[in-house]
Amino acid sequence: MIPYLDYKTLLPRTAAGFLAALLVIFPVFTTNVITLSIFISSGIWAIAVMGFTLVLRTGQFSLGQAAFMALGGYTSAILTANLGMPFWPSFLLAGIVSGIIALIIGLVVLRVGGIYFSIITLALCEMVRLLAQQMEGITHGVRGLIPPPPPPIVLGSFEINFSTSIVPYYYFMILLVAVTSLVFWQIGRSRLGGTFSSMAANQILAEHQGIHLMKYRVIAFTVAGVFTGFAGAYYAHFLSIITPLMLGLWESIQIMMMSIVGGISSIVGGALVGSLVLYTLGIYLSRLPIYNIQYLLFGAVVVIVLLFLPKGTGLIDLWGKFWRKVFREPDEYEIPEEVEAAVE
Amino acid sequence: MPPAEIWVDGLVQSCIYMTMAFGMVLVFSILGILNWTHGQFYMLGAFVVYYAITAAGIPFPISLLISGVVVGGLGALVEKFIIERLTAPGYGMLYVTAATLALIFFFEGAAGMVFGLQDKGLAMVLPGVLNLSSFSISYQKIAVVIFTLVIMIAMYIVLNFTKVGLAIRAAAQEPDAASLYGISVGRVSVIVMGIGCALAAMAGSIMAPVYIVNPFIGRIPMIFSLLAIIIGGLGSLTGAIVGGIILGLLNSVIAYYVSYLSEFVLFLLVIVILLVRPQGLFGASIK
Repeated sequence: MIPYLDYKTLLPRTAAGFLAALLVIFPVFTTNVITLSIFISSGIWAIAVMGFTLVLRTGQFSLGQAAFMALGGYTSAILTANLGMPFWPSFLLAGIVSGIIALIIGLVVLRVGGIYFSIITLALCEMVRLLAQQMEGITHGVRGLIPPPPPPIVLGSFEINFSTSIVPYYYFMILLVAVTSLVFWQIGRSRLGGTFSSMAANQILAEHQGIHLMKYRVIAFTVAGVFTGFAGAYYAHFLSIITPLMLGLWESIQIMMMSIVGGISSIVGGALVGSLVLYTLGIYLSRLPIYNIQYLLFGAVVVIVLLFLPKGTGLIDLWGKFWRKVFREPDEYEIPEEVEAAVE
Repeated sequence: MPPAEIWVDGLVQSCIYMTMAFGMVLVFSILGILNWTHGQFYMLGAFVVYYAITAAGIPFPISLLISGVVVGGLGALVEKFIIERLTAPGYGMLYVTAATLALIFFFEGAAGMVFGLQDKGLAMVLPGVLNLSSFSISYQKIAVVIFTLVIMIAMYIVLNFTKVGLAIRAAAQEPDAASLYGISVGRVSVIVMGIGCALAAMAGSIMAPVYIVNPFIGRIPMIFSLLAIIIGGLGSLTGAIVGGIILGLLNSVIAYYVSYLSEFVLFLLVIVILLVRPQGLFGASIK
């Protein structure tokens, strides 16, 4: 049972627009490589987290999201580094290949539910890693592939060069996250999103209302696969390396943790908040002279969020509560307790 | 036909997967959840034994029991304060799965902070090799097999001939009816989680002298005991034992022929089993 949060109760449009504008002009204030790369990486993780949350909304707990990142990253890296294809078509192909694989796997695997699906996706994740490790001829084994940076874009006399500065990467990340957020936001608002949230609320009831669970699960899994593939391809090009150990089961669990901390009641907002908070926390903690403290705190934060925020709705719901309390907006979407109990 | 050493190694691995899978299935049958942190209890058990032997000088067999008690108590605490609250009515499976997955990072981080990241060895415990005519076995591996047999017989006695075992079996079969007969299902859950984690810890500690000890050794046994459970059938104790034996032997025999791709074959096998026959070999009831 996943609670559902309406976007209107989180942030008024003006504030959201102001935040977005602030992010767009952010490189004017600082072009510090570390700050910008924290933003870029957390944006990339946010895309993967959105995919995870979308799949979660259809009632499937996937532990294989990092495998789709690896698939996207390897597709793009093999096409550019091994076959010498230009960046843009191979970047597009990365998302498409990852999406097609997600579709095929989803058609076979999504009919099992619950814990079995988690175990199958775990196995798939490990299989992708093992294949990448063993196919030395194509993937160079554990040494990994080195994809080239995107080519410079020439606009008249002005040239955007990816290899001299980190700022173009930042704007490309903003574009990618904006497109993904827009797609997921529209999915959340549309009839499809309504179907997903009904499946999240009560799967058995949804099935008895005539919703074909399998069809919507495959749709969600494929959409998540496409965008996770883009994220993986961009991750590989941004770090300019991809190895089998970079995107494995433990990164899948990290995606899950970001999703839980940010909040699964809102697809876009929760993903953005969760990945930004956890990634930044991880970076700053790993600079401390105490080894491994970031893992300890990651685990502790997730457990605390699950225990103390109602039904594990995460930070975004906490913010929503604060916002509603401060501005006293009537809470139209609250379901009375007894109705909720009767539904269960 | 692979040589005898391969079969012996497979048997040693089987013993570990068996013990781990047995604990996981025991927890699953009462609490209805998969404990994803099981491998980290294995790792903590290995560390407890390492420090009991090197720092306190306690003999190996007694430190095995100590690690079982200490880590079992930790598991009971985890059940009491985290799992019990997240399996309350109104919460789905998702929250407790997320919590146990997050605890993996918590325990690994804690072990890395407290004990350090470097590999530790315990090879001085039970040195020596038993020389047979065609091949040889180290005493440590024989100890693993004997110890697993002892644990399994002990678990059989506890589950079948004691009051606690009766309560556990009753709560696994029908929790509501069991609570009507005066069995506190909450307390049984704590006990079962303690026993499961103690089994994992003892598996880790008996393996500590064979392999190395570091904060990340729990990951592979956890994944493999998960696979053993799937082969045997989720929810069946016999299935856990048979699945563990099959998996350990398969892993070592397939690895003899195709080296690293053996894991790939096993994962593929498990996916096929889940798609074709999700109840596994023993067809236990699925909740």
